[in-house]
Amino acid sequence: MTLDQLDLLLSQVQKPARYTAGEMGAVVKTLTPGMLRYAFCFPDLYEVGMSHLGMKILYGHANRRDDVWCERVFSPDADMQTAMEEMGVPLFALESLDPVKDFDLIGFTLQYEMCYTEVLNLLNLAGLAIRAKDRTDPFPLVVVGGPCASNPEPLADFIDLVSLGEGEEVSDELFDLCIQAKKEGWDKPEVLRRAAQIPGIYVPSLYDVTYNEDGTICTITPREGAPAVVSKRVITDLDSVYYPENFIVPFLDIVHDRAVVELFRGCNRGCRFCQAGFLYRPIREKSFETVAKDAKNLIESTGYDEIGLSSLSTSDYCGLEPLLDSLLDWTEEKHVNLSLPSLRIDNFSESLMEKVTRVRKSGLTFAPEAGTQRLRDVINKNITEQNVTDTCRTAFLGGYTAVKLYFMMGLPTETLDDIKGIADLAQKVVDLYYSMPERPKGKSVSVNISVACFVPKPYTPFEFEPQDSMEALREKQKYLLSCVRSRKISVSYHDSATSVAEAALARGDRRLCQVVEGAFLRGSRLDGWDDHFKPLAWQEAFEEAGLDPDFYARRRRSYDEVFPWDHLDYGVTKAFFIREHQKAMQAATTPSCFAGCNGCGAQRLTGGVCKCI
Amino acid sequence: MYIKTVRIFFSKSGRAIYISHLDLMRAMTRAFSRSGLPVWYTQGFHPHLYITFALPLSLGTTGLCESMDVRLLEEVSDEEIISRLNAALPEGVQAVSAGEPVMAPKEIMWADYHVHLRCVVSEGRQALERFVALEEIPTQKRSKKGMKTVDIKPMLKILSVEEQSDGLMLKLRCRAGVEINLNPTLALDALTEITGFKSDWTTIERFAILNEALENFK
Ligand code: SF4
Repeated sequence: MTLDQLDLLLSQVQKPARYTAGEMGAVVKTLTPGMLRYAFCFPDLYEVGMSHLGMKILYGHANRRDDVWCERVFSPDADMQTAMEEMGVPLFALESLDPVKDFDLIGFTLQYEMCYTEVLNLLNLAGLAIRAKDRTDPFPLVVVGGPCASNPEPLADFIDLVSLGEGEEVSDELFDLCIQAKKEGWDKPEVLRRAAQIPGIYVPSLYDVTYNEDGTICTITPREGAPAVVSKRVITDLDSVYYPENFIVPFLDIVHDRAVVELFRGCNRGCRFCQAGFLYRPIREKSFETVAKDAKNLIESTGYDEIGLSSLSTSDYCGLEPLLDSLLDWTEEKHVNLSLPSLRIDNFSESLMEKVTRVRKSGLTFAPEAGTQRLRDVINKNITEQNVTDTCRTAFLGGYTAVKLYFMMGLPTETLDDIKGIADLAQKVVDLYYSMPERPKGKSVSVNISVACFVPKPYTPFEFEPQDSMEALREKQKYLLSCVRSRKISVSYHDSATSVAEAALARGDRRLCQVVEGAFLRGSRLDGWDDHFKPLAWQEAFEEAGLDPDFYARRRRSYDEVFPWDHLDYGVTKAFFIREHQKAMQAATTPSCFAGCNGCGAQRLTGGVCKCI
Repeated sequence: MYIKTVRIFFSKSGRAIYISHLDLMRAMTRAFSRSGLPVWYTQGFHPHLYITFALPLSLGTTGLCESMDVRLLEEVSDEEIISRLNAALPEGVQAVSAGEPVMAPKEIMWADYHVHLRCVVSEGRQALERFVALEEIPTQKRSKKGMKTVDIKPMLKILSVEEQSDGLMLKLRCRAGVEINLNPTLALDALTEITGFKSDWTTIERFAILNEALENFK
């Protein structure tokens, strides 16, 4: 596409800067013969995709090679899609404005299940066949990665390859394979066959799935030399792995607009509802010196005025205090703020508090996740009521007057007592505030309870559990409201309209491909956005496919059932999940890995043990 | 404390015309930070870069004589400001000159635009003739108190109309400034409303910013 054509498109849309690129840090290369062209697609709007750290890492990593040019692709918003369709402009990559259809490799990062129809939408907008078997040329090759690649079965018919685990090393191997394939003119079956030999690459079309009469899976059998089990890739040493020295700096105000440094991968906690906590094991830290260096590089190259620390649980990072000291040495002088997301309640010390208050002050948020001790033990959120009140006391002493508490509803074994417990806990925080003579003078407190619906995910101890019914969840929401007595407490729901579809897709098998396609053909796209989600389209798509969402979402699964993702190995063993599930049912907790290895199995992948430096 | 204020003139074209004014302010702040130039930050709880723009430019319009003021903590030559800033600016935004401010932004009275209308020449001509002959041009304009009707006739002068192979090139002079500011797209919308004429494609470029005596803003 020429710039003139782009101008014409952009005159018809809101927020044209989403589609123009030209930001500082965007990589524009001169095409050379044999250069591999890689379109990295984030199946959501620019503002969401550009906030994502993984994409920044893999973009920089791919572009450090002279023989690869990686460009970005985001979803057009509705107005842009209409304009493109009317003008006959196919999906294009931001940097070159070239059609995605002409690229060699098309990568999608799958961050959440509700992006699946958007993957189909983007393939279709690019002018490509949606089903992998109808794309008979070897290139463009369609590969997916990201957390939802851990169960890619609902997309199995549409994609060529799946990259399991961390992408830095395996993407290089994949680029090399594609370059060789193009040079030697391999056909598609040969490309797929060879790709399946790369550790961490899963080729869904090389596996046959059979089903039992009750609809559960009977066997998953590889063909043509594909491995019986594909293990995810992990980076062993985070201090030597590539990390970008530069980010693309968007013009638009995006969701997370700052320099981000990575503290560690994996999580020592083992909260039983949390898929990320298990998917990213084993635990590997970056030394605080590396993190401090990454932060400095990024601030100098981007001009950002904020550094975010990224990990699943910031306050569990062993080097946090020395890191903050070394950052605070120069950030204040340079007018740079620090933001510390994902703080936990139980190790929020006073000295950490002091450092955080030197950092930008906003409301504090914590996640007790459940209202009673019993239920917190079931989900292995190893915190007590005392932890919550102690932390709030520290925060109030530090001048905070607003606290946000995150909870989940619909957790396994949950009763109305647990729901009431949420309101009671919030009330205790309010009472605590007014019992403190040292509280900030003349200000009142505000406690916001934010409640999300629990969705059971694969690779967690709750992968066996049914999802709560919509009716039960609605009842519980009403009941919670009736339990709240103070005006200082507000309740917000993270609504649940998408949660049945999400739950079905999360633990779905490849028969759901038909449902995803059906929903797409009925106009579903960008399902993660409330104003786009079409519940009826999904309902009809399920009916048309003759499948019941409840079979996937609301069925209790036995320990010996073959799961659709059983041939994909993310480190933590099913035996461990079974053990954890049994403990959950007895409300027995498992301590943090920092007190000793709990034997989850993930350390096999690094050939050693997890460690905290 | 800062030692002086410096006014930097820059252009905004190509892909950069789609950067909104608000986004441009943020992009400039980051560019100054990357450039390492010794610029002054406001004091207080949330220090931020002191930067003011003389006259915001609308989204989609090219600007050749845009300007912004920042304050310097140390002496830096004008050439060095330009070269260091240019190394840090995104595609399409280019610093052109720097120097001590001469006029205050509130002295700005007019802005001149090149407006290129891709159209059938005779149709465009006819419409413009009707438009120019009008005594009044009542137009809906957004104000703080909602929509209101204003006569834009006194705010607008058509300086020249030139025929080109694919349409017309107008030189428009519009009232500009903090108090009263006429966006040329508003005038073009009025043209369409009154005469029914609409170009296939319009590009707008602001090429001069003037004071009451029609001297260039310096
Ligand atoms: S291998 Fe051991 S220490 Fe590592 S995550 Fe698993 S249980 Fe924790």
